Amino acid sequence: ATRRRLIPQRVALVLTQAAVQKVQTIMDSRPDMIGLKVGVRTRGCNGLSYTIEYAKEKNKQDEVVVQDGVTVLIDKKAQLTLLGTEMDYQESKLASEFVFYNPNIKGTCGCGESFSV
Amino acid sequence: NKSRQLTALSSHFWSSQPSPPVCGGRRLFSTEAQAANIPEELRLSDSCVKQLKKISETDEFLRVVVEGGGCSGFQYKFEMDKNIGEDDRVFSKDGVGVTIDKESLDFLKGSTIDYHEELIRSAFRIINNPNADHGCSCGASFSLKLD
Repeated sequence: ATRRRLIPQRVALVLTQAAVQKVQTIMDSRPDMIGLKVGVRTRGCNGLSYTIEYAKEKNKQDEVVVQDGVTVLIDKKAQLTLLGTEMDYQESKLASEFVFYNPNIKGTCGCGESFSV
Repeated sequence: NKSRQLTALSSHFWSSQPSPPVCGGRRLFSTEAQAANIPEELRLSDSCVKQLKKISETDEFLRVVVEGGGCSGFQYKFEMDKNIGEDDRVFSKDGVGVTIDKESLDFLKGSTIDYHEELIRSAFRIINNPNADHGCSCGASFSLKLD
């Protein structure tokens, strides 16, 4: 018998409807890019902060999330910290931003940009 | 020390002025400041003006407030406001205005208000605040420079 994989498989990243729409509009303006790439980097008062950049091509170890026609890549380094995260887009007069609801985090900073895992 | 003198001078200047009329007088107000050769206490960047033109209704101002909180002790708050109180100063440029109460202004003298756009976030922010020590990376919180 073949060995079954016993590692739980969760969707790495779920996008809300608002996030899907925003990614779609961003991608429409940059047809040369294949999607957006979400990553984390060491920064901020609580250790880590999210980054979003354009992705020209898929790296070998990037995890690909395709939802409702939009593509979001997850950087290798961010895959563990982002597992199960919901990505939302919130817009108001004063600010518009992508927000992440991450079940893995232990603490955040007041501004909500920085977090620890 | 020179800047201290200047600050003292400018606060004297402001306090010696009759309190400015709320709406019609603000253009006059900033011309007065220029005539007296006092550096603008709060600057609005071009992107800030552009965004304000987009979002503000008539007689609506962007209110900047400094309050205790955040990871570094103080934090900036932005909101839209139509009511200008007695303690508020108004800085305007190209038909849009920013209002700030005097106490908050003490923390912000010499700063620039900017609207920063990037992929992950677009928001108003304070840049080049000479009174703030390096704060949090997000720029929303800061600690005071102690000299």
